[in-house]
Amino acid sequence: MSCRFEYILGGTIAIVLLFLSGTSHAIPAFSRANKVECSTCHTIFPELNEYGEAFLKNSYVYFGKGKKAASEKTKDASAVAEAKRAAVAPVESDIQGAGDPELLKKLKAGRMVSGDAPATSSAAAPEAEADNGTAAVSGEPKSEGIALSGIPDLLPISFTANLTGTYIRNAVNEFDFSTRALKLNAGGNFKGKAGFFGTYLVYTENAAGLANTGNTPTNMTGKNDIGELFLIWRHALDTPVNIKVGRFQPKLGLWKSNNRLSATNPYVTYSYTVGVSPFKLEQSQDAVEANMILANRLFMAGGVVNRKDQNTKEWYVHSSVKFGGADYVANEPDIDLNQEESIFDFLTLTIGGYGYVGTNGDPNTVVGVTPRQNEYYRAGVDVDLLYKLFRLKLSGVVGHDDNPDLTYALPPMKSYTAAIEGEYTILRNLIGALRFEYANDGVNVYRRFIPALAYAPIENVKVAVEYKQEYGISYKTAGNTAIDNQIGTLGITFGF
Amino acid sequence: MKRYVALVVLAALPVASIAEARVKVTGRGAKLNFSSEGIPDMYKEFFDLMQVKCIKCHTMERTVIAIQTGRAPITGQPFNKQAVKAYGIKMLRKPNSEMNKKEIRDVVVLLNYLLDESAK
Repeated sequence: MSCRFEYILGGTIAIVLLFLSGTSHAIPAFSRANKVECSTCHTIFPELNEYGEAFLKNSYVYFGKGKKAASEKTKDASAVAEAKRAAVAPVESDIQGAGDPELLKKLKAGRMVSGDAPATSSAAAPEAEADNGTAAVSGEPKSEGIALSGIPDLLPISFTANLTGTYIRNAVNEFDFSTRALKLNAGGNFKGKAGFFGTYLVYTENAAGLANTGNTPTNMTGKNDIGELFLIWRHALDTPVNIKVGRFQPKLGLWKSNNRLSATNPYVTYSYTVGVSPFKLEQSQDAVEANMILANRLFMAGGVVNRKDQNTKEWYVHSSVKFGGADYVANEPDIDLNQEESIFDFLTLTIGGYGYVGTNGDPNTVVGVTPRQNEYYRAGVDVDLLYKLFRLKLSGVVGHDDNPDLTYALPPMKSYTAAIEGEYTILRNLIGALRFEYANDGVNVYRRFIPALAYAPIENVKVAVEYKQEYGISYKTAGNTAIDNQIGTLGITFGF
Repeated sequence: MKRYVALVVLAALPVASIAEARVKVTGRGAKLNFSSEGIPDMYKEFFDLMQVKCIKCHTMERTVIAIQTGRAPITGQPFNKQAVKAYGIKMLRKPNSEMNKKEIRDVVVLLNYLLDESAK
């Protein structure tokens, strides 16, 4: 097979699908629900900053909310009772006569406030900011019925629309704008006691391979429509343990599949496959997972995967620790403002390790039929280093597959992949990155250089220009086929 | 006479600042901001610094509300001196905040003063 060269260069425009490169855990519904801007949790959407990571680990409960200790709940209960008494017996100067709407509002605030909302200050002070139609204090009293039902005030859904245009130089069909998709995302929490998240691919056109491409079976609808759908029992039985059930990306690496600056190039450590095995670390699985934060800086997770028609369980574990910076519940580090600046004031180091053991191939539930199966494992280490405007990501994975082509014709294969990426924040909404990747998947050995520049003119809109230089060799094929690709893309991503 | 004085006070209540007149504010909504009136000379420089540096990413509205109500407007958590320091550290570490430790310290001192005034 002769070398294949694909040139989609600077004169080429590809308007790419961001959300089709993986599931999203960041959605505008979170911004609406918590009344915060996107940059609270993101560097440039959808890449997370440390507060976004804390929000994710906190089961989509905004840090500072829903984590009241018993003593604080007692205080709030007292505050609510006090507000009720104050509302019942208002100060004489507040009385402006029968039918006073302001007094009625205060009375309702004192009597109808939910147990999770601060009562006293919200009853006293929201008027200054009420002119713009919204009360800025988050303890704004909710409807009692809504508060008791646990239903979020706002419908927690967002949409993402994708359009892809490609230009392939010298191709017969140089331009193609027909690929598109529409995805629905939903996420949030129920009274701080449970978190939930889901993605539903509503419509696609020419979008093969956009959604879940793993060996997790397609949904009963026959379409790859549900990407993730899961529920988290937060702090089960008043322990630090969260129980997560459903279809989701297992907690393995430090970064979710689309938690990166690039719009089109996933990390090779999370996305590579071996042989005909479609397994990737970043794909969704049907699983049960337990995770928890210990001492605010240690995060641990472990889970079991069980697919349809597969009578074996798969297992995974993850552990990560964070030094410096805000901790996993978004508490700021204790920096002495009276001391001279130190490198440690701005240095944040996160290290994570994980392992996955699994089996795939033919279903092993058919009596009398010996399935062709592949037993495999992956083990990886990730490092995330942050210092002021500079961020460095390191990722490495080793793997083993004993029957990657399901024929036993090939010997067991070892795989080795690594990625290193440096990011620099040029402006608050302009970030540049340079990534180098190496992969040996047992069949191919290749290297990639991927420079990227991302710009967010508005926080929910991202424009990313990228270029991928890929070269290597496919040494397990006849004739040692060379790999040589140069692909430039211009991607526009938006959420609403 | 006393009744007349009481009526004058009642009439003035709707236009009085919620912050008990110690911390004066101007504007409404997104333009809500602290007034420079009443800021002591020793804090004027800090006030000017805050007006320039602390509106790069957000308006002063959330700061005013936090000072006035004693609660952070988004999380609903208490906005006390401990929280002021925590927010100061957060802004110090925020990429492209363009604030150094001394500037953060000055703004923290000012916010602590405004908290004290608001509590009177």
